[in-house]
Amino acid sequence: MQPGALRRERDVREAYAAHAGELYGFALRSLGDAGLAEEAVQETFVRAWRAGDRFDPQIGSLRTWLFAILRNVVIDLGRARAARPSVAESGIEPSVEPLEQALLSWQVEEAMRRIGEDHRRVLVETHYRGRPYAEVAAELGVPEGTVKSRVYYGLRALRVVLEEMGYED
Amino acid sequence: MRTDQPESCRDWRLLLGAYALDGLGGEERARLEAHLDGCPGCRAEARALGAVAQLLPLADPERFSRPAPRPSPQLGEQIAAAIGGERRAGQRRRRWSGLGLAGAAAVAAALLAIFVLTGDGGGDPVQHVEFASLPAGVRIDATLEPHAYGTEIRMYVKGVRSGTLCRVYLRGARGSRLPAGTFRYRWGDDSTAVLSSALDLSRTRAIEVRAGNQTFVAPVDPTGSTASGDTDQEDAA
Repeated sequence: MQPGALRRERDVREAYAAHAGELYGFALRSLGDAGLAEEAVQETFVRAWRAGDRFDPQIGSLRTWLFAILRNVVIDLGRARAARPSVAESGIEPSVEPLEQALLSWQVEEAMRRIGEDHRRVLVETHYRGRPYAEVAAELGVPEGTVKSRVYYGLRALRVVLEEMGYED
Repeated sequence: MRTDQPESCRDWRLLLGAYALDGLGGEERARLEAHLDGCPGCRAEARALGAVAQLLPLADPERFSRPAPRPSPQLGEQIAAAIGGERRAGQRRRRWSGLGLAGAAAVAAALLAIFVLTGDGGGDPVQHVEFASLPAGVRIDATLEPHAYGTEIRMYVKGVRSGTLCRVYLRGARGSRLPAGTFRYRWGDDSTAVLSSALDLSRTRAIEVRAGNQTFVAPVDPTGSTASGDTDQEDAA
């Protein structure tokens, strides 16, 4: 995408198709309300359209730029909502973390969704549930060494996905 | 073939995930750390995986076990509509600023006088006109908005040869025809041409577009309801 490329409505449509799902996921994670999250995504694209001439891919990716805008929108909406009680939908609680940590948490959760099922499962069983490797291996019917190698490849896959999402050490 | 005692870096590295998550027994861990002491490549890999392992507590397995939430299917269209409104507002601002401050003030004063004397016809609704029965791949539509000076026309053309000169006219009753301006269609341009004609929308019966050597005409409903009807395709004038 060229500098200032968000000048045409078609560019915005393409950007929406590529990034709206992620933006919505993070907005929902932060705001805990589906309606507010959609409002945040809409406001993000409208602001991106207004400032489209200033987008420069030499500085960062379009995705990074949209997330930076969304971050500000979420802060604005959060301030506006502070004056009224929030209603969580579908069991999704609004985040009470600082926004940067909420973004990182959402990135890790999104990355966990994207890695392979075999890798996700061994990470859930061994790390999140704290089960011994031998027990997980017996349940899966594989050698313990296979569980360890799946944990290795799972973490590597997770790192690759996070880097694609803009994560840096 | 795996052995109990890893022999290559590849074998050692398969243990690095469990090592990063503190899942190795004491003896296995000690052997791996002895290897890491003498192997910069495996040490770097261990550091990289350790950084990822430190992030895992940030994620809630209850959340990532559920499918990723998706926005409603209408959101994309809502955003397109909002941006379309922004674009039209921007075009109006640019047109006015192009007149220059003094010129704009003079025109505004003139329009105010016209409004006081005659009203500006602002009660008339904006009309969207679709040109039907067009050649395959060609799309033309227009939005007509009444103003005190006449009619503002926003033209959207797609599918004709790039560079084609398009001339637009509004047709009134009794065969009158007033020009609305010209523009060139450029391939890949998704923008809308903004034109204007002195003919009042309330007196407009049809809109005519000459794209190269083809002429397309669509009726305009003088009662103000949105028009959509068969397009007359005429030979070049």
